[in-house]
Amino acid sequence: MMGSVLAAPPPSAASPAPLLPRGFGLLLFPPPPATGSRPQREAKNVLPNPGEFEQCHQKCKEVFPTQVNGVRLVLNKTLSKHFQVNHSLHLSSTEDSSYKFGTMFVGSGQAGPAEFYPVLVGDVDGSGSLNAQVIHQVTDRIRSKVAFQTHQQTFVTWKADAEFRGEDFTAAVAFTNPDVLDDSGVVITHYLQSVTPTLAMGGQLVYQRRPGDEATFMSLVGRYTGSNFVGALTLGWAGVQASYYHRASDQLQLGVELEAGSFWEDSSVTFGYQLDVPKANLQFKGVISSNWVVGATLEKKLLPLPLSLVLCSFLNHQKNKFHCGFGVMIR
Amino acid sequence: MANLTMSGSNAKGSFPSRVSEWISSTYRFATDRNDFRRNLLVNLGLFAAGVWVARNLSDFDLMSPQPVT
Repeated sequence: MMGSVLAAPPPSAASPAPLLPRGFGLLLFPPPPATGSRPQREAKNVLPNPGEFEQCHQKCKEVFPTQVNGVRLVLNKTLSKHFQVNHSLHLSSTEDSSYKFGTMFVGSGQAGPAEFYPVLVGDVDGSGSLNAQVIHQVTDRIRSKVAFQTHQQTFVTWKADAEFRGEDFTAAVAFTNPDVLDDSGVVITHYLQSVTPTLAMGGQLVYQRRPGDEATFMSLVGRYTGSNFVGALTLGWAGVQASYYHRASDQLQLGVELEAGSFWEDSSVTFGYQLDVPKANLQFKGVISSNWVVGATLEKKLLPLPLSLVLCSFLNHQKNKFHCGFGVMIR
Repeated sequence: MANLTMSGSNAKGSFPSRVSEWISSTYRFATDRNDFRRNLLVNLGLFAAGVWVARNLSDFDLMSPQPVT
């Protein structure tokens, strides 16, 4: 689509916001280490890198469908092997309609089989609000990311983070909305360690400072990876999050998630599944939750046309609300 | 004799009423969202049930040929 060097998939009609290229995401089932310059080790002493802290529950969350309200049209245009633009039009009766223009630039540097750097992703809407991210591989083990989000002429979020990937651990630090003049900001540190080839454990420390007030939050995370399943648990001051992902077959993936927040005194369970039928170019996702919400998303590629069709519907029995959506993505 | 008959009919009639009361109380327990501990207990049970369903759903092939009847 953008040439053989780019492995980043285009954004889907269900989520047209610019996404990180998949090569910069977590490899939960990493490929075997390449032979070559690194000296050979005993297989039993090698622990894999556990990946990113935020990706512990990602496998389960990817199974759940994304809600689409109204009509969404996404047009992707590849201008070169490094540059891609997209137009996203959203028409809705329940929320404001919008148009967004997005771009993605991928550099020539290659950090891995599907990882390229630097990566610049951004989009701007009709009111001038901007979302932008810059991802760069500083060294072989250090990766940095800078993100901005504005609402018209006001900066809403500005964030900078750095991640260090060791042999069997990952450490990251992020600064969110640092304001020296206002003496406020948020510092987030992550650490994830591979205890065994299948078990990874870690923690997160959040320090939040505001004028006249400061607070610290800590949470612990554990993730167990099996042959075809991933279980993760996060325990923190704000609550508990548990997820279980299971690949039943090549066509069926299931995910169960439990979220319980002691601070908000609420808990919920979500059960989702994903059906992939490559022969029919079809992907179906369904979800049901303890909040009396039932939803589904159907995505089908209309080959040989470069079109993908997305149908979505969500029904909240408790609030007696029904939302449906329709999307078309042109590649 | 009439009292025995009356008590016998009460015993027979109370069993289905006890079952319906048990079902009603179970429904109220499961749907009561005002108690955080109850919600957490119910959701833990739902999570365990969901994990059991996920682990036992296999051999799901949509493209398999239909059985010939």
